Amino acid sequence: MEHLLEVHDLTIHFFLKSGTVKAVNDVSFSLGAGETLGLVGETGAGKTTTALGIMGLVQCPPGKVLDGEILFNGKNLRTMDSKELRTIRGNQISMIFQDPMTSLNPIDTIGDQIAEVIRLHSDASSEEIRKKAEEMLELVGIDKTRYCDYPHQFSGGMKQRVVIAIALACNPKLLIADEPTTALDVTIQAQVLDLMNDLKKKFNTSMILITHDLGVVAEVCDKVAIMYSGEIVESGSLEQVFDHPLHPYTQGLFSSIPSLTRKVHRLTPIKGMMPDPICLPEGCKFAERCPKASPACSQTPPVYEIEPAHCVRCTLYKTDAEEKSK
Amino acid sequence: MKALLQVEHLKKYFKTPKGTLHAVDDVSFSINQGEILGVVGESGCGKSTLGRTILHLTEATAGKIIFDDEDITVVKGRHLKELRRQMQMIFQDPYASLDPRKSVRETVEEPLNLYHLYPNRVERAAYVDKLMDTVGLTQRMGTCYPHELDGGRRQRAGIARALALNPRFIVCDEPVSALDVSIQAQILNLMQDLQEERGLTYLFITHDLSVVKHLATHILVMYLGHVVEYAQADELFENPLHPYTQALLSAVPVADIHAQRNRILLQGELSSPIDPKPGCRFAVRCLQSKETCFGNSPILREVRPEHFVSCGSCV
Repeated sequence: MEHLLEVHDLTIHFFLKSGTVKAVNDVSFSLGAGETLGLVGETGAGKTTTALGIMGLVQCPPGKVLDGEILFNGKNLRTMDSKELRTIRGNQISMIFQDPMTSLNPIDTIGDQIAEVIRLHSDASSEEIRKKAEEMLELVGIDKTRYCDYPHQFSGGMKQRVVIAIALACNPKLLIADEPTTALDVTIQAQVLDLMNDLKKKFNTSMILITHDLGVVAEVCDKVAIMYSGEIVESGSLEQVFDHPLHPYTQGLFSSIPSLTRKVHRLTPIKGMMPDPICLPEGCKFAERCPKASPACSQTPPVYEIEPAHCVRCTLYKTDAEEKSK
Repeated sequence: MKALLQVEHLKKYFKTPKGTLHAVDDVSFSINQGEILGVVGESGCGKSTLGRTILHLTEATAGKIIFDDEDITVVKGRHLKELRRQMQMIFQDPYASLDPRKSVRETVEEPLNLYHLYPNRVERAAYVDKLMDTVGLTQRMGTCYPHELDGGRRQRAGIARALALNPRFIVCDEPVSALDVSIQAQILNLMQDLQEERGLTYLFITHDLSVVKHLATHILVMYLGHVVEYAQADELFENPLHPYTQALLSAVPVADIHAQRNRILLQGELSSPIDPKPGCRFAVRCLQSKETCFGNSPILREVRPEHFVSCGSCV
C-alpha cells in the first residue's frame, strides 16, 4: 500500500541556555490512507514535538529540526518553502490541539473561526463558506443556530467539537489529534471518540492520535507507536503491541494501569522516573529503570523487526532477530 | 464495625448571581474505620465540595456530620483545630497545593509547629526524616523547593504533610489525576501501603473508575449533587443498577482489545446545578427515563443488601 505519510529519522532538538534538549531522536514511522496511528507516551516523551515537527510548527529558535525526512504524498515537507507549506497545513494536514479552552480565539465567534479556515483554503463565495461552516457545525453535533456564539458560551466537550470541526473543515487527508479528549469527562470523551471514529470512516482520513491513555488507543487506533525519551521504543499493529508487548517499557506501562476487568491487589509500577531530556543517558534510555537491563544496554540498541511491522528497540531481542534473518 | 464518619442529609448550596447552586444536595453515607470510600462522578457533580464540606473547609448549608460519635457539623475555633488533627486532606494539584517558598522539610514540619508537637528539635527532625522516608522521599530532597521536584515527588511531599499529625481520616481529592501512569501506580501503591499499615480511612474522590475499582471498598456515584448509587465496590462493578453508573462504566476506555463491551453512549451534557428543577437530575440524558422521572425526585432506596440506588425507573 502506498503510504500517505512517511517519517524517516526525524530529530528535533531545542537549544536552551541550560543545555540541549534532545526532544525527538531518530523517529521513523509510516501511515497509510485511512489508518490511525496511536502515539503513546508519558509527559515529555516527545509526542507533541513529533507532531509539531510534521506540521512544520517547531518554534525556531530555540527548536530546530536537525535531521529527517517527512514525506507527505511523496513530497518532502521539510524542503518546502513556507508559502507552499501553508497551502498544505490546515488544508490537507490539520491538527487538533490538546486544550480546547485555549486553542479557540475568545473574541471571535465559533462560526467565524470555522469559516476562516475554509476561506483561506478555497475560492468559495462568502455564502458558500457560511453554508459549509454551518454544515461542519451540524456534522459535529452542534446546532447551527449557535454559529454566532463565542467560545465561553460552550462547555468543554462542545468546544472540543468546534475544534474538531475546524480541523475537518477542509477535508484533510491527515489529522493530527494531540490528546483530544484528555481535558474531558469520560462520558463526553466517549461521545468525542465516537464522533472521531465516525468522521474518520466517512472521509477516510488518516489520523495520528497522541495520547497517554492506552484505553483510548485500544478503541480508536489500528497501529501503535510507544515513545520514550524522544525515541519510538516499540511499534506495531494494535494486536501485536497489546497482545505481545515486547519492550520492557511497554510491559511496564500495561502493568501500571489499574484495570476495570481484572482484579490485582497491587499495581506493579515502573520504578524511577523518565531521564532529564537535557542529559540523556548513553545507550538505552530506559536501561536505568528497566528490570531486565544488562551490560549490553550501554550501547544504543538498534531497531529489530520481530514480526512483520512489529518493531522493538531493545537488545533483549537481538538473538530473536538474528535467528529470524537466517 | 463502628462507623468512623457518618454524613446525614448533607447539603451545600452556593449563592450565585444566577441563583442558588446546589453543589451537594442531600447526601448521606457512612464510612467504617479502615474502609476506603470512592466518590466517583464527572466534573461539577459536587464530589470535591463534598470532601471540603466534611473537613469544614466550607460550612455545610444543612445536614449532619458525625465523626467518631461526635456531631461536628458546627465546630469552631480550638475545637475545630483539635478535630483537624484527626482529619487531613491530600489535594489534587501537587503544583498548587504546596507553598512555593517552603522547602519540602519546612512543608512537612509546618503542621508539627502549628500543634506544638515534638518541641525537641532533634526529635522533630528525626520524626520528619521518618515521615519522608515513609513516603519515599530521600533526605537530600528535604531542602528542595516544590519547583525543583517532579509531580510524583510533589505529591509525595503533600502526602507526608497530611500524615504528619497522624490522622485517622484523610480526604484524597483526585490525588493521582495530574500524574503520568507509571508515577500514578507508584503513588497508588504508596497510599495503599499507608492505609494498610496505619489502618487509615480514606474518602477517595476521583473521576477515574479504574482507580476506585483498584482501591476502594465502597463506592458512591454522584450526579449533579445527588447520590445516584452506593454499594460495595465489587457489587457495584458486577451489578451496576443506575443507568448513569452503567453508562459511566461503559464509557471508560479499556486497554484490552479483546474485552467485550456494550457501549452506552449518553447524549447531551450535564445540566446546570443552579436552581435545578424537581425530578431526577439525570432524566434528560437517561436512556431509560419515563415521564414520572421528570416530576418526582427519586429517593435512595436499598434494592439489594447494602446496595442503594436512587432511580425511579430501573428498579
